[in-house]
Amino acid sequence: MRLKLISCEVLFREMCHACAHSPHQVDLEFLPKGLHDLGGKPMAAKIQEAVDRTPEGAYEAILLGYGLCGNGLDGLQARHTPLVLPRAHDCIALLMGSHERYQAYFESNPGTYYRSTGWLERGKGLQQLTHNTMGFDESLEAMIGKYGEDNGRYLFEEMTRYRAQYRKLTFIETGLEADGKFVAEAAGEAEERGWSFERLPGDLAWLGRLVDGQWTDAEFVVAAPGQRIAASYDARVVKVRT
Amino acid sequence: MPDLEKLHEAVIEGDWKAAVAATHAAIAEGVPPLTIVTGCLVPAMDEVGRRFECEEYFVPEMLLSARAMKASMAIVRPLLAASGAEPVGRVVIGTVKGDLHDIGKNLVASMLEGGGFEVIDLGADVAPERFIEAATARHANLVALSALLTVTMPSMKTTIDAFQAAGLREKVKIMVGGAPVTQQYADAIGADGYSDSAGSAVALARKLVAA
Repeated sequence: MRLKLISCEVLFREMCHACAHSPHQVDLEFLPKGLHDLGGKPMAAKIQEAVDRTPEGAYEAILLGYGLCGNGLDGLQARHTPLVLPRAHDCIALLMGSHERYQAYFESNPGTYYRSTGWLERGKGLQQLTHNTMGFDESLEAMIGKYGEDNGRYLFEEMTRYRAQYRKLTFIETGLEADGKFVAEAAGEAEERGWSFERLPGDLAWLGRLVDGQWTDAEFVVAAPGQRIAASYDARVVKVRT
Repeated sequence: MPDLEKLHEAVIEGDWKAAVAATHAAIAEGVPPLTIVTGCLVPAMDEVGRRFECEEYFVPEMLLSARAMKASMAIVRPLLAASGAEPVGRVVIGTVKGDLHDIGKNLVASMLEGGGFEVIDLGADVAPERFIEAATARHANLVALSALLTVTMPSMKTTIDAFQAAGLREKVKIMVGGAPVTQQYADAIGADGYSDSAGSAVALARKLVAA
């Protein structure tokens, strides 16, 4: 098959690896990290744009390297080419290899921040995509500069308090790490924030099945031309609607 | 009333010190505490909410306005209680189990307080039992649930189901919100209401407790 994969750049290394091993010919396009910060509808619009740029008849299916991503894939419509989306809440589920594994890990590890190669190296120097996240990564000095000593300090404390509510950083290791710098950076970030640190083996088999064309209904939703992807609000995560 | 105008401005500008000064001055002048809340703080926070909707104000500005409003409320609240004024409603608010995001929830809690509600804020990662405990102990008539992840939204359903199982569903109204939450989801899980912004959350809350 000739397939088109539109994926978040956070999954860059994993997707390139999967495509290189696929029996099919897969054309890859990556969209910027952080689209979920725009909010569900604006993100869906951006992905729809990418889908709509795909020429008719060129591919048998368009694969999406995403999960539901905070409703960023909700409402996405298949135009002339079917869309295939993993039944995942987000990329962390994809890196862990199954919805069930993610759900179980998430529930037993509340307060966990996740990192992977893409989460560490992609999107550095990203322009602030949206006002929704403005202020969350600013330094104390920057906040004081903008709002004055008293208000600046208050805002910095309010907006970084979440860090005290997180307790752990989990680095999802896929085996694609070329050297130790990713683990080291993740461990360093955990130490800086006073969190515990875990190296969790990832599982790339789900992503592999996406690009290998093994789209079982249990793991993937397929939208035929005209159908839209929608949040299903149940354990299947997504469904199609007309 | 110049003091109320100054207080209004202090809240809009996010100047908590000016808010404190104007509140003391207004009280000294004999302005009734309830008037300070309904005649000044409520409209001021409504305006702040409107500016956030129009993207004139962002999260930092909202937080500073809320800080100023809360500073004023800290002075007014004991006077309100002493005068026997009842709050508009009693609301238990929290981010559901598994979810640690709380900035949006904090903003809604502030807006509700500014809107005349007694607010019991349980924080984040709140299990259904804690919502039930607090609602019962504090005689709340409203429960507000927040979630920021599609992964944790199911906790909203389990919380509502828990109220049902405890025979308490009829005693409270339950409203839901948070970035990935939708009216459709709210309807599916049997919530009484959904709002998509801090400002409209207050209007919804008022409607729900009045019903």
